[in-house]
Amino acid sequence: MSITRPPVQARLLRIAAALILWLAAPCVLADAAGIRLTDDTGREVVLAEPARRVVSLAPHITELLFHVGAGDRIVGTVTFSDHPPEAADLPLVGDGGHIDLESVLALRPDLVVAWHTGNPRRQVARIEALGIPVFRNEPRGIDELAESMVQLSMLTGTDARGRVRAGELRARRDALRSAYAGRAPVRLFYQVWDSPLMTINDEHLIGELIRLCGGRNVFGELPALVPRVSLEAVLAADPEVIAGGGSGEDDHSWVESWRRWDSLTAVRNGNLLFIPPSLIQRHTPRVLDGAAMLCAFLDDARARRPGSGP
Amino acid sequence: MKRPVWILGGLALAGLSSMAFALAVGSVSLSPHGIREVVMGGGDPLHRSLILELRLPRVLAAFATGALLSVAGALMQVLLRNPLADPYILGVSGGAAVGALLTMLAGAGTVLVSGSAFAGALLSTLLVFGLAHGTGSWSPVRLLLTGVVVAAGWGALISFILAVTPSAELPGMLYWLMGDLSHARRPGAAWIVLALVLFLAWPLGRSLNVLARGSLQAAALGVSVRRLEWIVYLMGAVLTATAVTLAGTVGFVGLIVPHMVRLVAGNDQRVVLPASALTGGILLTLADTVARTMIAPQQLPVGVITAMLGVPVFLYLLHRSR
Repeated sequence: MSITRPPVQARLLRIAAALILWLAAPCVLADAAGIRLTDDTGREVVLAEPARRVVSLAPHITELLFHVGAGDRIVGTVTFSDHPPEAADLPLVGDGGHIDLESVLALRPDLVVAWHTGNPRRQVARIEALGIPVFRNEPRGIDELAESMVQLSMLTGTDARGRVRAGELRARRDALRSAYAGRAPVRLFYQVWDSPLMTINDEHLIGELIRLCGGRNVFGELPALVPRVSLEAVLAADPEVIAGGGSGEDDHSWVESWRRWDSLTAVRNGNLLFIPPSLIQRHTPRVLDGAAMLCAFLDDARARRPGSGP
Repeated sequence: MKRPVWILGGLALAGLSSMAFALAVGSVSLSPHGIREVVMGGGDPLHRSLILELRLPRVLAAFATGALLSVAGALMQVLLRNPLADPYILGVSGGAAVGALLTMLAGAGTVLVSGSAFAGALLSTLLVFGLAHGTGSWSPVRLLLTGVVVAAGWGALISFILAVTPSAELPGMLYWLMGDLSHARRPGAAWIVLALVLFLAWPLGRSLNVLARGSLQAAALGVSVRRLEWIVYLMGAVLTATAVTLAGTVGFVGLIVPHMVRLVAGNDQRVVLPASALTGGILLTLADTVARTMIAPQQLPVGVITAMLGVPVFLYLLHRSR
C-alpha cells in the first residue's frame, strides 16, 4: 500500500527541510559552544570559545582577571598594572590614556577588555574595526563590580571561580553594611586630587563605600561624578572627617596639608585619614579593604566627638 | 632654473624615502623580508594589517598634514608680509578646535569630530573674512588684527571647554590640541586638496613674487592686488582647515618650513610652494615616526617632536646663511 508522491513535491519537501536545517544550525551551534554577553555599554560581544589571549586596557581589569583565575590568559596590559605582583611582568601596550595599536595587534589577542571611560573611545573603536572582539567594562558600584567578575570569568572560561569570587565580594560588603551603615552619621569630605581640588559624588563607587560606613559625603549631591570644588566650599562645608589618597601609594602630603586650616572640625578632632589610592580608587575587590579602613576610622571619629568619650 | 630642479628633485626623493622609512619602522619591528612580502602582496596577515591598515594611512596623513600646513604658512607669510605669520594666525585652528572639542565632550566618534573641526575652521574663516572686510578700507594689518583677536576669542572658548570637561576626556582633547595623528585614517581628501591648491597656485607664482614685495609695487606692476589677496587667503584657509581636520593643531611646521625653504632655495614662490610642501611632509613624517616609536608602547603627540626636530635644523640654516 504505497502511495508514490509526485516527484516535484518530494523535491520541494527535501529542499524545505534542508533550508530549515541550514537556518537553524548556526543558532544551535552558537548557543551550545559560543559565549554571548552584553557589555557595560549595551554592546553585544560574541566569542566562539573562551578567550585565550586577552589584552587588558586598565589596571583594575588586569587585577579582576587575576582575581577570577584568568591571569594566565592575559598577554598584554597597560602601565600601572601592578597588582598582583605577577601583573608587573606582563608586556605593556601603552598607558590607559593612549594605546599603541601596533603592540596590541602584535600580541594577536582574541579579546580586548577596555575601560569605557578610561580609554580613548576612538582608539577602542579602531581596535574593534581591526576585527578584534572588544568588551567594554565600566563598573560603577560593588554590585556591578561583582557582575564584572562573573562576566570576565565567562569570557575566559573560568565561570565557577568568578561566581564564587562575586559571592565573596557581596558577602563582605553586606557584613560591613550591617555593622556600620546604621551608626551615627559622620560628615565626610573625600579628596581624589589635589590641584585642582577634586572629590566624588554619591554615584561614585567611593560614595557607596562612604554610605556603607555610615558616612555622609558633603558633596554627594553635586551632579558631576568627579566634581572639582573650591577650597572655600570645603571650608564652608566643614566636614568632620577628611579622607583621601595622594599622588603615590605612600604620599600623605595632600591629607596633611589640611592641618593649616585649624578652624575645620576635622583638623581640630584629628580626623585626617590617608587611604592608599590603589585600595580605594581602583575598581577591584580591594576597595573593601579601603572601606574597612574607612569604617574603622569613622568609628574612631565618632568616639572622638566631644562628650562621647569615656 | 637649474638649481630649483635639483632642489625639488632631491626633496621628492627624500620624501619617498622618508615615507618608506616610516612604513618600515614602528613599535613592532618587522624584518626586511617580512616587509618585502607585504609589498609584494603576500606575507603574514599580522604584518599586512600592521603595515597596510595602521602605518600606511598614518604615514600618508602625516605627509599630507605637513605639506598642507607648510604651503598654508608660505601663503600667509606672503599675504601678511610678516615673517611671523603661520597657518593658525588668522584663527582657523581655534574655530576647528572649538568644533572638535565640543563633539569630543559629547562623546562622539572620529567622523563627527573631524566633521565639526572642519565646520569650525570654515566658520572662523568666514567670520574673519566678514569682519575684516566690513566697511572702509582693507589692508593686511586689518586682516591680521581681526584674525588675531578672533583667535583669542576661540582660545577663551577652548579654555572654558577644558575647564568644564570631566577628567577622563581631557587626555584626548589635549592630544588633539597638541597635534596627534593616531586617529587619522582617510588622508585621501587631504591629498586631493593639496594637489588642487598647488595646481591652482602655480600660475599665480609670478604675481605672488611681486605681492611679496608690497602691494603698492604689485599694483604698479599691474597685479590685481585685492583679488589676489583674497584668493591667497582662501587657499590658506582651506589648506589649514584640511590639515587641522586630519591631525588636530600641529604647531611649528607651518611657521618654520617656509623660512627653511627660503633660506636654501631663494624667494621665488614657484619654487617655495612645492618645496615647502615636500619639506613639510618630510618633517612631519619623520616627526610622527619618532612620536610613535621613541617611548613605545607609549605614544607622544607629533606636535612635540616637530619642534624638537625643527628648531635645531632651522637655527643651523639661519647661522649658515649669514
